Amino acid sequence: MPIQRVTQNMLTGRSVGALQTGLSRLAKLQEQMSTGRILNRPSDSPTDTTSAMRIRSSMADVKQYGRNANDGNGWLGQIDAALTSANDQVLRARDLALQGANSGSIGPTAREALAAEVDQIRGGLIDTANSNYLGRPVFGGVTSGAKAYDPTGTYVGTPGAVNRTVSEGSTIRVDVDGQQAFGPTGDSVFDHLDALSTALRAGDQAGIKASITALAADRDRITTTQTDVGTRQIRVEAAIQAASDSELKLSTSLSNVENADLPKVIVDLQMQQVAYQASLAATAKVLQPSLLDFLR
Amino acid sequence: MSSFAGLNTALSALRYNRVAMDVASGNIANVGTEGYTRRTVQGVAVGAPDQPAMWSRYSGAGDGVQVAGIDRMSDMLLDIRARREHGNQSYLDIRQAVLERVESGIGEPGPSGVAAAIADFRAAWHDLANNPGSDAARSAVLGRAATLADAIKIQARNIESEAGDQRFRITADVAEVNTVASDLAATNRSIAVANLNGTDAGVLLDKRDQLAMRLSELTGSKATLRSDGGFDVSVNGVPLVVGNQAGTLSVATGITPGGASDGNPITYEITDSSGTTAVPSGMLGEIGGVTDLLNTTLPAYTAGLDAIAVQLATEINTQHQAGYDKAGNAGQPFFTYNPANPAGSLTVALTDPAELAASGIPGGGLDASNATAMATATGVEASYQRLINGFGTEVASVTRLAANQQVLTSQVDGSREQLSGVNLDEETVSMLAAQHAYEAASRVLTTLDSVLDTLINRTGVTR
Repeated sequence: MPIQRVTQNMLTGRSVGALQTGLSRLAKLQEQMSTGRILNRPSDSPTDTTSAMRIRSSMADVKQYGRNANDGNGWLGQIDAALTSANDQVLRARDLALQGANSGSIGPTAREALAAEVDQIRGGLIDTANSNYLGRPVFGGVTSGAKAYDPTGTYVGTPGAVNRTVSEGSTIRVDVDGQQAFGPTGDSVFDHLDALSTALRAGDQAGIKASITALAADRDRITTTQTDVGTRQIRVEAAIQAASDSELKLSTSLSNVENADLPKVIVDLQMQQVAYQASLAATAKVLQPSLLDFLR
Repeated sequence: MSSFAGLNTALSALRYNRVAMDVASGNIANVGTEGYTRRTVQGVAVGAPDQPAMWSRYSGAGDGVQVAGIDRMSDMLLDIRARREHGNQSYLDIRQAVLERVESGIGEPGPSGVAAAIADFRAAWHDLANNPGSDAARSAVLGRAATLADAIKIQARNIESEAGDQRFRITADVAEVNTVASDLAATNRSIAVANLNGTDAGVLLDKRDQLAMRLSELTGSKATLRSDGGFDVSVNGVPLVVGNQAGTLSVATGITPGGASDGNPITYEITDSSGTTAVPSGMLGEIGGVTDLLNTTLPAYTAGLDAIAVQLATEINTQHQAGYDKAGNAGQPFFTYNPANPAGSLTVALTDPAELAASGIPGGGLDASNATAMATATGVEASYQRLINGFGTEVASVTRLAANQQVLTSQVDGSREQLSGVNLDEETVSMLAAQHAYEAASRVLTTLDSVLDTLINRTGVTR
């Protein structure tokens, strides 16, 4: 646009306009500096806003998956410890049964002592089967009660899976059905220990031998369950790792989208400051002189 | 030729230069006056009459100078252009200001918006799935649900109150339009009178231009020049000011006298002596901008928010009713809303934490399959992201348009200023020129005086 005439008002107007432009650029950069973000409102970049919202949502999910998996890990760890202890106790009971079976010469008093210890083991095993994690019996399924087994060794839990969501659409079962680990009611390890104790007291060699076989099968069952639990625990631990990896990756992506590149902002700010000072100086110079300064 | 003709010539020069100095002084006095258009004095040499009487002959060498007129340095085309651009500018400016205000209330992307509330809500369901027996986890779900409902309600309320403010602005703007229009009609009458009796109408014309500009800024109206020097103004083709008659702009539908919305789109009508005419939609200027916001932009966002509230309530309720609460009873609806205003009335229907249907099987156990399903039930996040994306795009586009329009407007204003603005140097120069011309004319007088003195008092006198 060719300028034919320049008036004082034009100079003033343009100076003020240029100062305003400079100031608004400075304000924009100052906002980026002080918030540390280039994305302060949706209109700064609608596309990036959508990305940022998606990433934030994914991050919240991934964090939650990590929490879920950690919780599941607690359950499975508790179950693993309970099964290890149960295994030892059944092994001890089997040793006692072998003692009762081998020694034909063993007296009724000694057998009574053996039987008493078997009863103790049975009581301890029921306690183990009632192990709980944060107040819930880990072998009790979805029961709202505090116990999976009553003192007589009868299953009182509610069969049902306790699942943890460890990633998008993938759940891991973190409980073990008591009847799967300790045998179905009527044929459970507690019934077998009961039978063993009775046989020991009665000196029933055939009964003792049958109990030995049954207890071996019980141990196998417990070991198999423990293997299954171990496999699930590996999955859960992998999920924890994956969740923390994803969280890191997502927070990097979020930072790429949302956060200001500080060195760049600082350099820009410096440049804008120089430009602003220049326009201030120009304004001061250009508004000063008029013809009147040079006439008498 | 008379002996004294030279005296008259010098006198005309004195008069002319006095006027030139007056005009320069007037320009300097008004250098900072808003809407002032610089004047220049047009001089014309007085010489032989165009049609001397028959057989007569003009023997003079010119009879000095006279003022032919005082020109107001304005360009009708530039003025029309400036009014149009200012109308567009205020249309975009008001849209930008309002949309930016609404946008800053959305709080996205960030840790306090609706998106974050949805994520928190889902996390609370996950926690409940982990611990279905815990009353703390249950209360947390209810708390997060209330936060989510509030986050949506706050947005709906923000838009509602912004719309209320803008309806008041329209009322105020319409009142201003009517005041300015009647001022313009009065100015038109004064201009016609001034033109008839031959007085200088410059100040009135400045005022007329300013009033027409203000009307354009308010309504995007068009002004056309009348033969008597005034302006006729029409808003979107409907006459508002005709000569010395001003019509009345009023809101026809959309706003109740109390300033509330009556549910219809906002329309306008102009009443004058010939009756009432509806103004077609598509006004520009500040009123046009606010009207478009209230009729289209804000309702569209509210509708999007309503759709999200309904979707959220429907999805969550369906899944919640598929489960069973702590006592083993079937789940009840989780959210309620008023279908007339879903986003503004979304509330959590449940109050007792035990009523949360975390279980997927009846009978009161600690099954948590429904809580897990609840945690993934909602597809509302994607809809919300689309809504925010759309709104952000709109705000960004308006901001860009307003910035572009600003460049255009200041260019046109610059062109007007080039023509109409006062330059102090220029005025100083013309003042000096007039001063020197005045001094020279005085010297002519002195010289003539001395010549005549010689002729009258000394000629033929002998001692």
